[in-house]
Amino acid sequence: MLRRTQLGYLARESVAGFRRRKLTTGVTILIMSASLLVLALFVLVTLNLGMTLERTRENVDVRVFLVGGLDAERLAGLQPPFLAIPGVREARFIGQDQALAEMRAMLGEDADVLEVLDENPLPASYHLELSRGHRSPEAVAAIASELRRWPEVDDVVYSQAWVGALESWARIFRWSSLVVSLIVFGAAVFVISNTVRLTMASSRRVIEIQMLVGATNGFIRTPFLVEGILHGLLAGGLAMGLLAAGHRVLSVRLDGLAFFTPVQVGGFVAFAVVLGLLGSLAAVSQYLRLRRVV
Amino acid sequence: MADDPRSRGPLDPRTIIAFYHVNLRYRDQTALADVSFTVDNGEFVCLTGPSGAGKSSVLRLITMDLFPTKGQVVVRGMVSTRMKRGRIPMLRREIGFVFQDFRLLEDRSVYDNVAFAQLVVGVPGADIKKNVMRVLTQVGLWNKRDRLPHQLSGGEQQRVAIARAMVNSPKILLADEPTGNLDPVTAQEIIDLLFRINDGGTCVIFSTHDHEIVKTFGQRVMVFRDGRLASDVERRVPERDRAPRLSDHMYRPGEEPATPHREGGHA
Ligand SMILES: Nc1ncnc2c1ncn2[C@@H]1O[C@H](COP(=O)(O)OP(=O)(O)OP(=O)(O)O)[C@@H](O)[C@H]1O
Ligand SMILES: [Mg+2]
Repeated sequence: MLRRTQLGYLARESVAGFRRRKLTTGVTILIMSASLLVLALFVLVTLNLGMTLERTRENVDVRVFLVGGLDAERLAGLQPPFLAIPGVREARFIGQDQALAEMRAMLGEDADVLEVLDENPLPASYHLELSRGHRSPEAVAAIASELRRWPEVDDVVYSQAWVGALESWARIFRWSSLVVSLIVFGAAVFVISNTVRLTMASSRRVIEIQMLVGATNGFIRTPFLVEGILHGLLAGGLAMGLLAAGHRVLSVRLDGLAFFTPVQVGGFVAFAVVLGLLGSLAAVSQYLRLRRVV
Repeated sequence: MADDPRSRGPLDPRTIIAFYHVNLRYRDQTALADVSFTVDNGEFVCLTGPSGAGKSSVLRLITMDLFPTKGQVVVRGMVSTRMKRGRIPMLRREIGFVFQDFRLLEDRSVYDNVAFAQLVVGVPGADIKKNVMRVLTQVGLWNKRDRLPHQLSGGEQQRVAIARAMVNSPKILLADEPTGNLDPVTAQEIIDLLFRINDGGTCVIFSTHDHEIVKTFGQRVMVFRDGRLASDVERRVPERDRAPRLSDHMYRPGEEPATPHREGGHA
């Protein structure tokens, strides 16, 4: 059980440690927040990439362009066979006129160029929507090649080709970011425990006297653990602050760039605190185990 | 000696420290070889011998800062071979330790240096003041309590260190060459102070190189040579007779026996 006098001592000592060692404290916090920043950056990029990927995959857009010269009945009659293909959830017909209207809307002010045409050059098409299980690049490619064999089909265009590329790239990124994160994590613990050990070397005499007169290891350890927690808190806060600032600057150019939710920010800072605590604990335990007093 | 301390068991109530066939090696260096002895409650012992003989090693073993490579050390009923790491602080509260180089905290006053030893073991605030006053008065430095260590002479610094070692009322005071950094007159003052502390019933063990001190020391002298206990004799020097001798330290009623004791028990 700690007595009030001991608690007072621990509180004073924890704060005093901060004040006495401005430089090492500053360096520790900077290095820690730099490591945390790299970590958070990877997580954030992975998060954004995943979201983009998900959005793209949701909007699978398969357009089936039809050969010219089909009459209205033929065109309308294609819908049931399209829907009969496994994985096709919806088939929307877009006639030549509608295609032209869409083109006009897309061109906006430049729509005048269309006036020179005396005939609508745009083919009629079907817009296919795929059900969830059939949105993988392979599935879409299979459907497309099947459709290309139909005599009514002129061409099939879909966005999944680059989705496939994006997906495999994202997979590589996710794995490498995991590896990098682990390395950064290890480095952070290493750096923290080393700075704490350095800090402890400067408090050597005080620790020795405590060991000599019979202070328990738990008591000797406490100010360093409190310091570790404060380091983590400050470093985590700093890293999050820098990242938020960076996000704000980038958001001006890039739309829909996601940031951590408040809960995630809190979790990240808590993670930093645990990191600071672990680093301190590793250093102080090793120090107390190896230290001889007499 | 009528009663050979080597033949006693660790549970003999007179015994406060016992070494049984202790060997100590530092990596490839043998520091102690087959050392056996016991020390009684309240004894005053001088360890001497050439440099590297193993004096400091004996003191390190008593504080259980080191453990024997072979053999056993028993201190106040705590057995080295069965000592748990978590119990060591409790042992240390029973032992005061003084170094040749004082080891005071340079940025704290005399008072704070001594109070520190009480603070970190959880003595209540009101008692701290009383105890610090008692020991600083005993070493004659209560009037200099607000000074910083560097504002004191070597002898005064050593007295602060002794006050710090004594403030938790240990049963044993160990001093490793406490006079090594001091001139002969100051050194003798420190030895006199150790005598007074011993008069109060504390077992005192100190090491020294100083032949003058050994010559006039009227108590038990243990001589180490090459890690062996070369001689262990009771000296009788009349002018030093005021300190109690081994024979006076048969079990005294009211004295706590050296059996395993209460948790956190600093008297
Ligand atoms: N940390 C250590 N590592 C290796 N050897 C050591 C260590 N400490 C002491 N020794 C060796 O153990 C032996 C005994 O050392 P110890 O310090 O007990 O001697 P001492 O009698 O106190 O000497 P001194 O009078 O010089 O202080 C010496 O040979 C010394 O070299
Ligand atoms: Mg020595």
